[in-house]
Amino acid sequence: MFSSVMSAAVLGMEAYPVQVEADISDGMPMFCMVGDLAPEVREAADRVRTALRNIKIPFPPRRVTVNLSPAHIRKIGTRFDLPIAAALLAAMGIIPPEHTDGVLMAGEVGLNGRIRPVNGILQTVMMAKDQGCTWCLVPKENAREGAAVPEMAVTGVGTLGELLEYMINPENGKGKAERASAWEGGRKTYTVDFREINGQEGAKRAAQIAAAGMHNLLMIGSPGAGKTMVARRMPTILPGLTMQESLEITRVYSACGLLEEEGLVKNRPFRAPHHTISANALAGGGRYIQPGEVSLATRGILFLDELPEFSRRALETLRQPMEEGVIQISRTDGKYVFPAHFQLVAAMNPCKCGYYPDRSRCRCLPGEIHRYLGRVSRPMLDRMDLCTEVSRVDYQNLVWKKENEDSRSIRMKVEGAWKMQQARYQNCPWQFNSQLSPAAIAEFCPLGSGESRVMETAFEKLELSVRAYHRVIKTARTIADLEGEERIREEHLLEALGFRSADQKFWSPE
Amino acid sequence: MTDTYNRRNTTVNGESRIQYIPQEDVRYPERLRCLPGMPKGLYVLGKLPDDSRPSVAIVGARSSSAYGDEISRFFAGALSRAGVQIISGMAWGIDGKAHEGTLENGGDTYAVLGSGVDVCYPAGHRYLYEKIPKTGGVLSEQPPGMPPKPGHFPARNRIISGLSDLVLVVEARERSGSLITADLALEQGKDVFAVPGRIGDELSRGCLNLLKQGAGLADRPETILECLGIRPETREEEANEKKILLAKDENIVYSLIRLQPVNLEELMKSTGYPVRKMMTVLTGLQLKGCIREVQKNYYVRTNSRIIDGKVFSNSGVACKGEDHKKISGK
Repeated sequence: MFSSVMSAAVLGMEAYPVQVEADISDGMPMFCMVGDLAPEVREAADRVRTALRNIKIPFPPRRVTVNLSPAHIRKIGTRFDLPIAAALLAAMGIIPPEHTDGVLMAGEVGLNGRIRPVNGILQTVMMAKDQGCTWCLVPKENAREGAAVPEMAVTGVGTLGELLEYMINPENGKGKAERASAWEGGRKTYTVDFREINGQEGAKRAAQIAAAGMHNLLMIGSPGAGKTMVARRMPTILPGLTMQESLEITRVYSACGLLEEEGLVKNRPFRAPHHTISANALAGGGRYIQPGEVSLATRGILFLDELPEFSRRALETLRQPMEEGVIQISRTDGKYVFPAHFQLVAAMNPCKCGYYPDRSRCRCLPGEIHRYLGRVSRPMLDRMDLCTEVSRVDYQNLVWKKENEDSRSIRMKVEGAWKMQQARYQNCPWQFNSQLSPAAIAEFCPLGSGESRVMETAFEKLELSVRAYHRVIKTARTIADLEGEERIREEHLLEALGFRSADQKFWSPE
Repeated sequence: MTDTYNRRNTTVNGESRIQYIPQEDVRYPERLRCLPGMPKGLYVLGKLPDDSRPSVAIVGARSSSAYGDEISRFFAGALSRAGVQIISGMAWGIDGKAHEGTLENGGDTYAVLGSGVDVCYPAGHRYLYEKIPKTGGVLSEQPPGMPPKPGHFPARNRIISGLSDLVLVVEARERSGSLITADLALEQGKDVFAVPGRIGDELSRGCLNLLKQGAGLADRPETILECLGIRPETREEEANEKKILLAKDENIVYSLIRLQPVNLEELMKSTGYPVRKMMTVLTGLQLKGCIREVQKNYYVRTNSRIIDGKVFSNSGVACKGEDHKKISGK
């Protein structure tokens, strides 16, 4: 007898519909599986056969054929065990075949009949909805994640026994569908807080401005000065996730199997890849393509410590996502587009030994310093709107029990700035000040005569480049937004100039 | 030795611009001719120092501090304005800044290299290498194409001191190459001056030792000019300089910034200003040209006028707190 069950394959981040067909007919007893299967999918035969026997369902000594179609999509992962088991049970006549219509299943089966969690459930359920399915059966651990998709019944299955029960009596199973909890503004509590940092006022202020306009931030400082400490606290001052953003992040994490909790992601990501990372690991890749660090950091912070140590190739891959918010990867089997709306925070030492300009400790020659800084390419620097020095904390500051501003109150200011930007850029394709093009700067950041004079003086005295000039105005726009002001004033420009990105003069010997 | 790394093309219309001046030549520097152990001849790009004008060598550490850089540039500038030729070694740090200070003030400066004169070492000083021969000269005893070798440099130092009437050491660590130059200068009977640094700084050790041994104390360029027998010109430019008005908070911050780099954090601790105000004031001071950012958020005073602290003394000028927004004194 023939039967079929709907399932899905996940490639990259997208789910594609896959029909699992089973047929049991007369002939030599055998179990045959076809349909462009990876080895782990082929092993499903042994897992399912044993699991069925272990729940006291005898496996028929007949010719069993399982086909996963369409046959041109590579099937990977262990998510097909559950639909294969269901299709077999239907073909054996244990489950009424009509009950499998409009039902999507995914899950790994253990030899004792237990159902184990799998990756990519969120996009699978989303796809099921598009395909007109009404009910999804997924592993219990994944149920909350799938339930985030509205208007879809998602039931968690713990064992093959439960599968049998739900399929024979679907009303019973649908009644046990996971209820999606209402989106209560995504934010869990973070384990770190800006309150814990004494001193470092410059870095803290720069972090606040960076968060308010989603500007990229470069921190320069000696080893152990606290650059990482500041970066780690950056997500805590970004406004809470919207449902849409959370879905985007969860899709990435689900595809990579990196979800740490059940349900949707509530915290903004913080990713700090090591500087030996390859370009592919940063951008996304692998034999079966998976999102890379830029996508894992989407809607959050991508922190690159020891920026000059990253390979040039790896850093160059950041350029497209920094411009467009997505990363495109072309492979022989197709083109993949992953989200990559990250905010870049980078840290580096001022020189090879890390102590310049403290000449009692640093003996680096000017040439060596320039060579070290020169490892960060000009285009990369041109994308850093803010730059600050992070200095070593002295002992007094270290033990000082001072009331520092906590992340919550900083976040409230940042939220205010975000709101101002949302209102201003309602009808624009961009959301943040950092994304303004030169034409948009002229439109949204008009300068009064006094302000223009400041910028003119700065342009000459500080030898600003045209790009640096635009970056300063964008940063000043954000500083004004933080203060709730529509007009950019001189002091905003002066502060923005103080945090301007590292100059040409540090970077080349002339 | 045709393809030495970093070798520069020194031919113009097929003719070499490098001249070889043997000891027998009348153009050979008189100052060297009378000393023992001097090279048989010199290769020159540009010209040789004038025997009739005073010359001063400015030497010091390669990994210099921002303070040393400023001082070197300042002394070179002031001395060259008084007509002194500046001799140095075109190395990183103090040497390079001395050449730079001279060129900025329109003086002539001479670089003695440890490599052939057509080899620019260090490569990062190419802009100096190209500018120096326009008014002064690049010289060496090494034949063209010779790469820089460690042994060449102490030998090069004897020519630096030999060519000058006085050697000024700006910053030097203990057992620094600059001290070799100073020793050689003493052997050759030249005056040695040293710029004092803070005690405790590694970069001051060499200079302080020299001072202890009796070197002249270079507190200001006039001291050196007097030693050379030049009457320091009255400082007219001071009168011409525009007074820059500083607001009260700017004055406070400015008074805390010295020639040693100081960072944002320290300044905030000393003044108690919040970061926003401090940033605004610091950028204002930069735009007025009073201070300079040497490394991200590290500031020093800008050169020249500071030494006496006269120009910026702001007494008697009533300032409102708002003043720092006015950008004056362009």
